[in-house]
Amino acid sequence: MLEVQNARRVFFPGQPDEKIALDGLDLKLASGDFAVVIGSNGAGKSTLLNAISGALRLDSGKVFINGRDVTAIPVHRRAVHVARVFQDPMKGTAATMTVAENMLLAELRHNPARLRRGLTKARRAFYAEQLSYLHLGMENRLDTVVSTLSGGQRQSLSLVMAVTGTPDILLLDEHTAALDPRTADLVMDATIRAVTALKLTTLMVTHNMKHAVDYGNRVVMLDSGRVRFELAGDEKKNATVAGLVSHFAVKTDRMLLGA
Amino acid sequence: MLELISHFWALVPVTIAQSLILSFVVLAIMIPFRILGFPDLTSEGAYPLGGAICAMALMAGLPAWSALLVAMAAGFLAGCATAFIHLRFRIHSLLAGILVMTMLYSVNLRLLGKSNQPVFNLRTIFSFLIDHGLSDIGAKIMVAGAIAVLAFLLLRLYFLTEKGTAMRAVGANPDMAEANGINVWTMTVGGVGLAGSFSALSGAIMVQSQGFADVNMGFGILINGLAALMIGEAVVGKQTVVRQLLAPFVGTLIYYQLISVCLVAGLPPGDLKLATGLFVLAMLAAPSLRGRGAPMARDTMRD
Repeated sequence: MLEVQNARRVFFPGQPDEKIALDGLDLKLASGDFAVVIGSNGAGKSTLLNAISGALRLDSGKVFINGRDVTAIPVHRRAVHVARVFQDPMKGTAATMTVAENMLLAELRHNPARLRRGLTKARRAFYAEQLSYLHLGMENRLDTVVSTLSGGQRQSLSLVMAVTGTPDILLLDEHTAALDPRTADLVMDATIRAVTALKLTTLMVTHNMKHAVDYGNRVVMLDSGRVRFELAGDEKKNATVAGLVSHFAVKTDRMLLGA
Repeated sequence: MLELISHFWALVPVTIAQSLILSFVVLAIMIPFRILGFPDLTSEGAYPLGGAICAMALMAGLPAWSALLVAMAAGFLAGCATAFIHLRFRIHSLLAGILVMTMLYSVNLRLLGKSNQPVFNLRTIFSFLIDHGLSDIGAKIMVAGAIAVLAFLLLRLYFLTEKGTAMRAVGANPDMAEANGINVWTMTVGGVGLAGSFSALSGAIMVQSQGFADVNMGFGILINGLAALMIGEAVVGKQTVVRQLLAPFVGTLIYYQLISVCLVAGLPPGDLKLATGLFVLAMLAAPSLRGRGAPMARDTMRD
């Protein structure tokens, strides 16, 4: 369960380039909800995700996860609850470390690091099994340094890392936008399988309206730091690309891509 | 020529003893630089700090081994101070290191009370072996070598643990580390502190070995250490944790033999810093020269 109450954040306050990124935003997700967040550039999508993960402090307002107020809790302690996949495959993994070591780091999110052996045999076997669900052969590359993987492989690894330990909230920040179309489909496919199997409460930001129509049980459109409208239930099931695009003041090719 | 070789040969044991003692500084340069992604200059101040503290502790009648531990504790604090200044005030790590190193000069002078403090005729960590018939140099090689092996094994063990892996992640990708529940602050402060304690250990052993502490004993230690690290990485590589940990020790052994060759061959000692500096520059510049020739000015600007 995720709740954002009256979230407000202003960048460069009092300066000529003052920007209200979040303007009293309210959002509530029930457990197991998969909400797709859309909105034009500068609508506040990334700021919202940063506020939920703790990477950004709010000026005012509150964030609750499972009913607990986490507003003042820093990123590394919120990590028990929140996992995130970034748009940039480089951001979610440690490039100079191996696939297995990265998987271990993901495990430390809900199991704080201690002075005991890291990569045990049992763990390696477990990681290999987790990675095998991707069907990319990564289970045989546990000792490969991540920087030598392709962007798609790295992003798939980020995804597996994010869903290990079944986080309370999964944040997907345009996580397929930097990939080529075929790889993007593979990663999206794996995402949907994981989210469905683990019943994860998910917030996915995308610029791709087809994704917004095809996936999730809710659509949330942001505009100028507020929720402009939400679709749920049958309204969401009946949503069309054209219908969603009509809500945008400025339309870009990117929204229709793949539609 | 033959004379030069025999001259060099005679110096080999002394040089080995010296390099084993200084290998801890090189380790202290490697840990922040390579593992934490935190280029750090504290060692130039933490090394004489370790020496000064050790000298004071010996004068106060502390046993030689305890003096090492006290020195390491002081070095740990110096490292922590640098990391804290960097994290809390967002001052570049190099500048934070320069600040701490400069301030430590005054601290060291205060501790010693004068620029040079002899500690002759006190029992040192080498005394036990010398009592049992080992030569002075032999004892130094045995003791410093044993500490080096111990440090290597403990660090290797540490970096195989969850905590050690987490510390490496902080260097590899701090944002990702944080997002995976790792406290970047504690890891950085602890890691740079650890490095500081190794610098101080080196200074402390050196004081016991040479029989005096000098406020200027750290001058230039950093660039020597960097050169040794570069050599070590060129020889054993840095692809795995074990290689990265081995590099400082191997590099130091080779580096000081090279210096010894230069001195025996008649290079004026005053020119050594220039030679070492040019060598480090060449090693650091090598990848960009090998890759694609010198980058054009406009390329650099576009980055």
